[in-house]
Formats: sequence, structure tokens, C-alpha cells
Amino acid sequence: MSHVLNLARMAIALMLLPMAGCDLAPKPLNTKHVDEGDPTRGLALVAGGSYGCAACHAIPDVRFPKGNVGPPLAGMAGRSLIAGHLPNKPGVLVAFLQDPPALAPQTGMPNVGLTTEQARDIAAYLYTLEAPDGS
Amino acid sequence: MGRDPRLILILVALSLTACGGPQSALDPAGPSAASLHRLGIIMYVGATLVTLLVTALMLVPFLRPRERSVNRNLFLWGGGVALPLLTLTALVPYVMTVGHETRAATTPQQVSIDVIGYVYWWDVAYRRPDGSRGGAAANELHVPVGEPVELFLHAADVIHSFWVPSLAGKTDMIPGRVNRMVLQADRPGVYRGQCAEYCGLQHALMAFDVIAVPRPEFDAWLARASQPTGQPETPELRQGRDLFVSLGCGACHAVRGLSEARLGPDLTQVGSRRTLGAGTVPGGVGNIAGWIASAQHLKPGNAMPSYDQLEGPQLRALAAYLESLK
Amino acid sequence: MTLTLDSPGPQPTGELAPRVAPVLFPQSSGRDGLERLEAVWALPKRFAFVTEVNNTHLGVLYIATGFLFFLGAGVLSLLMRIQLAYPGLAFLDAGTYNQFFTMHGTVMMFLFAVPIVEAFGVLLLPALLGTRDMPFPRLSALGYWCYALGGTLVFASLFFNIAPDGGWFMYPPLTGPKYSPGINTDVWVLGLGFVEIAAVAAAVELVVGILKTRAPGMTLGRMPILAWYMLVTAGMIMIGMPAVIAADILLELERAFGMPFYDATKGGDPLLWQHLFWLFGHPEVYIIFLPAAGMVSMMLPTFARAKLVGYTWLALAAISIGFLSFGLWVHHMYATGLPVLSLAFFSAASSAIAIPMGIQVFAWIATLWDGKPVLRVPLLFILGFLFIFTVGGLTGVMVAAVPYDWQVHDTYFVVAHFHYVLIGGMVFPVFAALYYWTPLVTGRMLSERLGRWAFWLMFVGFNAAFFPMHITGLRGMPRRVYTFPDDVGWNWLNLISSVFSFVFAAGVLVFLIDFIRHRRSGPEAGYNPWDAPSLEWLSHGADYGFRSIMPIRSRYPVWEQEGLKEDEIGGRGFLPDAPTREREALVTGPITGEPEQIIRLPGPGWTAFLAAAATAIALAAGTLKITAIALAAGAVAAGAYLYWLWSMDRLAPRGLADAGRGVALPLYTNGSRSVGWWGMVVLLISDAAVVASFAFAYLFLWTARPGSWPPDGSQIPGFLAPVLLSAAVIAAFILFETADRMNQRERRRDTTLCLGASAVLAIGAAVAGWFWLRGLGIDPTRHSYGAAVWTLVGTMGLHLVMGAGMALWCTVRLHLGMINSWRCLTLRICLLWWRFTAPVTVLVLLMIAGFPHVIS
Repeated sequence: MSHVLNLARMAIALMLLPMAGCDLAPKPLNTKHVDEGDPTRGLALVAGGSYGCAACHAIPDVRFPKGNVGPPLAGMAGRSLIAGHLPNKPGVLVAFLQDPPALAPQTGMPNVGLTTEQARDIAAYLYTLEAPDGS
Repeated sequence: MGRDPRLILILVALSLTACGGPQSALDPAGPSAASLHRLGIIMYVGATLVTLLVTALMLVPFLRPRERSVNRNLFLWGGGVALPLLTLTALVPYVMTVGHETRAATTPQQVSIDVIGYVYWWDVAYRRPDGSRGGAAANELHVPVGEPVELFLHAADVIHSFWVPSLAGKTDMIPGRVNRMVLQADRPGVYRGQCAEYCGLQHALMAFDVIAVPRPEFDAWLARASQPTGQPETPELRQGRDLFVSLGCGACHAVRGLSEARLGPDLTQVGSRRTLGAGTVPGGVGNIAGWIASAQHLKPGNAMPSYDQLEGPQLRALAAYLESLK
Repeated sequence: MTLTLDSPGPQPTGELAPRVAPVLFPQSSGRDGLERLEAVWALPKRFAFVTEVNNTHLGVLYIATGFLFFLGAGVLSLLMRIQLAYPGLAFLDAGTYNQFFTMHGTVMMFLFAVPIVEAFGVLLLPALLGTRDMPFPRLSALGYWCYALGGTLVFASLFFNIAPDGGWFMYPPLTGPKYSPGINTDVWVLGLGFVEIAAVAAAVELVVGILKTRAPGMTLGRMPILAWYMLVTAGMIMIGMPAVIAADILLELERAFGMPFYDATKGGDPLLWQHLFWLFGHPEVYIIFLPAAGMVSMMLPTFARAKLVGYTWLALAAISIGFLSFGLWVHHMYATGLPVLSLAFFSAASSAIAIPMGIQVFAWIATLWDGKPVLRVPLLFILGFLFIFTVGGLTGVMVAAVPYDWQVHDTYFVVAHFHYVLIGGMVFPVFAALYYWTPLVTGRMLSERLGRWAFWLMFVGFNAAFFPMHITGLRGMPRRVYTFPDDVGWNWLNLISSVFSFVFAAGVLVFLIDFIRHRRSGPEAGYNPWDAPSLEWLSHGADYGFRSIMPIRSRYPVWEQEGLKEDEIGGRGFLPDAPTREREALVTGPITGEPEQIIRLPGPGWTAFLAAAATAIALAAGTLKITAIALAAGAVAAGAYLYWLWSMDRLAPRGLADAGRGVALPLYTNGSRSVGWWGMVVLLISDAAVVASFAFAYLFLWTARPGSWPPDGSQIPGFLAPVLLSAAVIAAFILFETADRMNQRERRRDTTLCLGASAVLAIGAAVAGWFWLRGLGIDPTRHSYGAAVWTLVGTMGLHLVMGAGMALWCTVRLHLGMINSWRCLTLRICLLWWRFTAPVTVLVLLMIAGFPHVIS
């Protein structure tokens, strides 16, 4: 489903390119790919609610709750740091999701007991979240 | 005067395929809800027939206008008097029978539970044989399968209404009164209930679960609910317990063996609850942390303040401690 | 006693109506009569239209205002449907949503449904009854302006975030001082106060109008069927509305002065509110439905091209619904844990109402069978009404089945049910009526084509939006929730309801566009465009209604009385003129319709508008706790009311006046022949219902709270003081009676003495009652016992003080020569007050003294 969405987004971007003129910014390398991560399953885990993601974070595809304890997750794909000081790389994100305090001892985000596979799926989902303005 | 036929098809399809659900009176799981559902079906069929009759009679004059004048007596005595009189004479006694069935007596060894409605959550206390308050829970009723369970319904502040559609009809909880009702689940499962009388700002977020389990499992659960909680085993959990005490959580919440207060939900087994905030969010450590830090954001106007001054590790410790209470 | 009267002006010059003997004010059916008629009935120009009191004019304003509230509350419902389109949406927050659904219900019920059906009565009845106007136009004006100004204030509270948020039935303790400390609830009580004033005012006008100002010859059996329906409705308002007025007063006493009626911790009971509220609230459904059914019964013969089948059956059905509806209030309380046996009774009673309902539906269908129906837009809406209302009635039978109601009560099933009943039973008929009677008011026809669009959009939109709600409710969705979880199975059903609610709204929009369009380009309606049988089409939109008042010999006069139009326009009926230079109407006998009197009606004046505006400002400022403005406006209002009262019971010459057609009638009557006397009787019936509600509160709380009534430490009253007080009250009453006798014998000094003594005794009794309760140590705020006793005794004390005031009022008028042996209506009406107050006071005192002994 979100593959389709991504394709659609790319298609729209391609159609918009001519309008944007020739001032093409270099397209960044897609570093936000999680091996074996399925964003659809990831979204289901997030929206299912039992891990409590949305109780603390506002997540674009989850209508309720829209937590405000931690940062909103819209734009996760383009964000530089996780928890303020970890590089936003697939491996780091997966590890952080699995055991946040291990990587960021002062974080308030608890270890909610995700398996590696679940963490990968969620990470894959989070990397589909572009910032609202499309940057 | 027909509706768009496609619409009818969609509606029929919906109503046939969509009877289930955790909170549906169309999917009864107890004797009371079942007999109400039977009564419902009889009335749906009757109502459909009458509607068809009236609609047809109404349209006939447009399809074939008559020359002779109409037989008034047939319409007035037949349709106006006899039709409702006969149907209702048949229906009302049956309705009363169903009414008495659904208020059936209970057995001597029954489970008796006091349920008290608060804005916006449910206190649940199991009566000991001597009538005193035994094991307690909140927003969850554990009941043994196949046995009538007696409920005493109270309200602590405003009027609420106790309703589990798949098991029985609703009964109001009224300040100053105690209403009794009997509930029985015929198959194990989780049945969702919800406050049915508007009780203020967060009336929408005042749900609960009835968890029906076989008798032995129920007995084991009740035994656990009646015992003091154990000592925390890890340093983090101990820190969490100390925070629970020092932050004053115990001023509102009971944790058996640690605090007694009853202004908020009993937390003795909060780690095993299916939901937090009376059905606002699911259970689990992540949601517990989110709830502690932002209860007012998740369910504005509920009685619990947002503990948004905690440091990260403190929040985690407190959440972990509560999650360990099972 | 000299009789003086302003000069009646030049004598008629045109052709005189045939008349008997020498009489006052000869009527002219010629041009000069018409000119005078036009002059006295003319609408005031420009902004002075607020001074107009003519019922027909007010009816139009009334309907327009009601329709605006319908649109406003409809917009609220659309916003709520957006919020409920998907689970977990945050389009409206919980607080806003709760205000919206409370206002949607309150506005639809109290500011739209009840007023607009009364408005159709106010607009149509004068014409249907064949009179120029009903007897109390200023009262109608007061009611309208209270409603319009008060309703606007209440609606505006939404924009200041102080709108009521306790649901339209406002159950305490949620709405009590503890759980609703803000002024939101006070705004609700305030709004209801206005609507109650308006509703009771309109009820008085309708009852007396229907009984006393019908066209000559229009017996009860020849009345248009709508008059029967409106009579029953007005009677129900008269008796039912006071229950909710009493409940409101008790709630406000609890909120403002801490008198605990509904607080279970102080001997009160939340169920008291539910009993009082539904004692009114259930009849209210029929108060809304009956006039709509009456309008349907008026329109059907026109389009069926046949007389109504079962006129008598319908009238009897309306009356029996009126009675039965008061036995059904527990309908709304099945889940409160009442004993099953009592529920059995109510279940049966609820089902019994299906019989008169069935009779109506089948009488309407039979009417269609009897004729050759012509399918125009109003009939389309009527057919839509029949279908939707039948479905709503059948689900009504379901919710009347007590155990079944335990499942569906307070769910979307009930939301679906009552929207089927109210939109089907009232909104569709109102739209039919708007299409049908618009030409009567604007002189132009609405579009058939757009009308069909409006109908089909509304019909399909309505059914597709509300039918699924039955299932939503059975699948467990409670009403009044601002959001719902996404995993319970309500998502699709809610989405369908939300989408089609906009289709319904589109239908309403099409009507609006059509209405705006038709004022310019709609075809001219001409005389009786639908070829209808009833009298309203005889009047031709002139301010005075009819050129002359025609004697009626048929239920369908326009179809059956030949030459009716010619005689009416030729001035060959009654009162073709306005020789007194004032608005006149015929008063007829309540049963037979024999002409009895010519009354002169008040014309345009500021009194009613000023009184209403000042009342509205005073109550609103009081609610917002702006004391200075409240007091100032209150003083203005009091002044306006006093002036109004003073201007009543006007001087009239004693001789007989010409009524046309060779009939001479008096201009002044006393006692039960006068409309003022009838108005007072209707008001006192309402008053009795208020007192009865307070007594019910006392008795109910005592029996519902056996353990805690009476509270420790308050003394139970003995018999001595109540007996002495009763004696004083009875003496005051007898003195007032004697005053009337003395006045009959023109013994002015004795009359004055009796009135004075009566006033002194009345005030004395009221003050003594105060000290008596104080002496007993009964505290109104500590326990509901004290609150109930003080409320009852206080109410009767207020009646005594008013009685004393009336005695003084009569004394002053007596000495100004405004009361004498034949002009004594004021005295007689005040006497009525005493005939009510004295026995009721004695009963109340006996109950307070005796009931504690009975129950213990």
C-alpha cells in the first residue's frame, strides 16, 4: 500500500520537475532503507497501539492518540538525529527502538519489548514519513 | 416511494455481515442478551411487514385511482384499531416474559461484584461472603463463564450507566441508589462495555472490559487480586516503587500492600490490564509511560494530572514498576 | 357614572349593512368601511414593525425565526457529523462537541420544533377560524419577542464558549452546582425560561382563540381539524410545560441558593429531575407531532381531492394522544432500576398509544384512497412523512418494550428512532406546510421542480443517514460520544451517516434557494391556488384578513358554501367595517359558535416589545451576574407590565353595537363570557400544574428517601399554625368575595373596606408563614426536606402577596371609577386568582402538616 503511495509520490515529483525549472538539487542518496523491514507491518504495529508509540508521539497515520510527550514523528525520514544525539541511520534506529535506554540513558522512552523483526518493520515505516512540506 | 435499490442492498449487506464486534447487541454471548436479541428479531420482522403494508397502501391510490368510495370501517377499525391492538396484545405479554427472564435470580455461590461509576472510570470490587470489599480492579470485570454474576451498581458522583451489549441490557448507576443486575457470559471472551449515560466531558472515553474465563482461571485471578503485591526485584523496579510513594501516587491509587486510596483506579494488577484510562489507550509499558506523562493530553479533564516534570529514567522506572504489577 | 368615549368620528357614508333597531357604531359594507378597515389594520411602517401585534404578522416572523434556529442547529449537527465521520478525529474537541450536541438538541426541541408548530397555529388559525385575529395579540407579541430575543441570546452563547453542555435533558447531579460550576447550565435554564414564557403565552392565545373567536356558525364539529389538534397541543403545553418550569426553578434554586433537591447526599434524588423533566419531555414529542399531524390533515383533502376520512376519529385520536402522553414519561427511565411491575404498566401504556397513531395513519391513507390524489410537492412531503413516521413509530413500539429498551436506550438506535419520529413526524410536514402555505403569505408559488429536488435529496439523505444508526446503536455505540475507537465496528456506519447527512442538508439548501428565488420570479398564486376547501384561502393576504366575517355552515366551506367568496368580498358578512376606529373581532360561544360580543383588539404598541426586550435583558444580565443592568432592565420590564395591566379592561359603551347582518352585540362582557376570564382560567391551570409539581417533589423525595427524610433536628410542623394560617387565608378570600358582592350593589365604601382587609390578612398570613417556618428551625439549604417545604410555602406566600397586590390594584381602579357594578372584569379576574389561591394554600398547608403523620 505505501509502496504504491511512494510510487505515486515519485510520479508526482517527476511531473513537477519541469515546473521547478532546471535548478535541480542533487538528489540525496536513499540511505533510509531498512533491510527486511516492511513498512506496512510497521504501521500496523504502531497503529495497533499496544506498544504505546502514539501515546507519546504524534504519528501522521494514527488519528488517536496523538501523544505530545515525545517529538512528533512526521518527517522522521529526513531527521538528522534520534533522541537528540544519535545519528538517524537504519541500524541505529532499529537498535534504539528495541532498547532506547541502552543507547540514550537519559531518555524517557521505555523498552517496550520489540523483537528485532518488529523494530525493523517499525523503522521501515518511520522512514516513509516525510516532513509535511515534502522536504 | 422506494429508496435507491442499490442503497438497500448495501445496507442489507452491511447489516448481515456486520453484526459481530466486541460490543454488539446483535452478537449475544449471554442468556440475557440472547433473549433480548430474539425479541428484537421478532420485532424487526413485524416492523418490516407493517412498513411494507403501509407503504403499499399509501402508493396504491397513485397507481390505480378508484371510482368507488373507500370502505372506511376497514381502514379505521381494521388498520387503525385492530392491527395495533392485536399485535400489541400478542407482543406485550411476551415482552414482559423476556423482562422477567433477563432479571433472573442468581445461585447461592454466585460471584457478587460492586461496580462504582466515577467520572470517567469504573471501580470494581468483589464482595467477600461476609459482604466486605475483597479483591478489586478497575475498568475490568473478570467473571467465570456460564455462571450468573450479581452486580451492585453505584455512582460516586454523577449518573453513569453500566452496559455490556453482548451480555445484557444497561442499568443506570445513580447517586444515592444501588441498582442490582445479573450478568452471565456463556462463552469465554472479552466483551467491551461502555458508559451509556452522558456523564460529562469524557463520557466518550469511559469504557471497560468484561473478561469471561473458566471458573478455575477466575478463582486464580481473584486470589491474585486479593493478595498484596510482591516486592520489586530489580533496582529499576524498586526505584519505580519508591517514586510511586514519593510522588504521592498512593494518595489516589490503591496498590494492594502499598496504598489503600480509592480516589482513582486500583492499580494492583495494572500491568495486566487491557486498557488504560478506561479504554482510552491499550495497556503495556509504553502506554503506561505515555499516560503518566500526559494523562491530561490523552483524556483532557480526567482526574489524573499529567506528571510532566519527571526525568526520563524516572518515568521509565515508574512505568516499569506499574507494568510489573500483574 | 358617566360614559364617555372618544368620538367615533364621522358616521359611515357608504352603503350601510342591514341592521336592527338603533345601535352604536353602525357598520358599513361600502367603500368607506373598507377604507376604515384598511386603516386600522395597516402594518406600522419600517422599524415600527416591532410594535405590530397582529397574530398573522407575528406568525410569519415566528416561522422565519424558528426556521433560522433550525438552520443554526442543523449546521451544528453537520459539524458533529464531520467529527464522527472517522474514529478518533480531533475536528472538534470534547468540550466543543458536548456544547454542540447539547445546543443541537436544545435548539431543535425548544427553539425550533415547539415554537414553529405553534407559529403555524398563530399564523393560520385566525384565518382558518374565520376571524380577523385571536383575542390576545399583545400576549402573542410578548411571547414572540421573548422567544426571538431570548433564543438569540442562548444561541449566541456558543460563540462565547459558555453554551450549555449537559445534554438537552440536563440530568443533575451533572448539571448541579458541584459538577457544572460554570454559567453554561444557567444559560440553558435562561433560554428555557424564555421559551416557556413564549409557549405558555401562545397556548393561552390558542386555547382562548379556538374556543372564543371562531366564525359564527362554526360549531366544534365544523372546526378545521387543525384547530382540534392545536387545541389539544395548547392544552398539553398548558399542563406539561409547568412541570419542566418547576424542575428548572428547583434546579436554579439548587444552583444559586444551595437548596438541595437533586443532591443525594442531602436527601435529594437525581430521579426527581427525571420524573419532572419527562413528565413534560414525553408529551413534548406529541406537542411537536400533533400540530404537524393537524397540518397534514388539512393538506391531504386538498391533494386527495376528497374530504378527510374519519374527521371525528382524528379529533378523538388527538385528544386520546394528549391524555395518554402524560402516562408515558417513565418511557425514558426504563434503565434507572425501577421495579419491573411498574415498568409493565408503562410498557402497556406506551403500546396503547399505537392505537390512536394507527388510526391517524390509516385515516390519512383512506383519504388518499377515497379521492384522486394529485401528486404536488406538498403531497410528496406528506408521503415522505407517512413512510418515515411509520418506521419511527414502529421503532417506538420497540423502545417501549421495557427489556428491549435496556439494550437500545441512550444508543444510536434511539438517536435514529427519534430522528425518524421528529424529522419524519414534524420536519417533513413542516416542509409540506411551507410549500403549501407560502403562496398564502407571499402571493407567489414555489417551484415544483426544485421542490421535487429538495424532497428527494431530503428523503434519500435522511434515510441513508439515519437508518444505519439503528445498526450502529445495536452494535453498541452510545449516543453523546464525541469520538469512538476504530476497532469496535462502527467506522463504516458512521461514515455513511456523515456523508448522507450532507445530502439531507443539500435538500434544505435547495428549498432555501427556491424560497429566495420565488419572491421575485415565482408565478403569481392568485385566489386559492391549490383549490383548497378551508377558510384561510378565502382571506386574500390583506392585513385585516377577511373583508367581512362569513357565517360558516360546513367543515369544507370553500368547497361547499356557494357564493362564499362573493359575499365575503361584498362585505355581506359580519363586521365589514371598523367604525370604532379600532381593530375588532367577533367573540362566539365556545360550543355553538353563536356570536356573543364584539371585542376591540389592541393595535400596534410598544408595550409588548418593550416588556419582552426588558425581560430578556434583565434575565440575561442576571445570568451573567451584571446586577446593575439586571435591576435597571427589570424595573423597565415591571413598568411595562404594570402599564399593560392598567390598560386592560378598557371602557366600553354599555349599549349594543352593530355587528352587521342584522345582529347587535355588546362591546363589554363580564365573567365567563369574556375572553379575559378564559385567559385567566388557562393561566391558572398552568399555575396549578407548577404548584402540583412542587408538591410532587415533596411527596416523591419523602417516599424515595425513607431513611433520610425528615432530617434529624428539624421539627415536624404541628397542626395549630397551619390551621390558623388557613383560617386567615380563607378569611382573606371571603373578604374578596364580599368585595365583589358589595361592588355589585354599588357600595363603594364597603367594597374598599373588604378589599383593604383582604389585603392586610393576606400579607399577614404570608409574613406569619415565614416566621412559622423560621421558628420550626427548618433550614432550606441543609436538607432537601427544608428546601421542599420552603419552596411550597414560599410559592403560596407569593400567591398571597400577589392577591394582596390585586386587592390594592382593584381599590385604586375602584376609586378612579374604573370599576363599577357592570364594568367589573378586573375585579372578577382577581377574584378568580383568589378562588384558586385560597383552596390551594389550605391544601398545601394541610399536606405539610399532615403528611408526616400519614407516612410515619
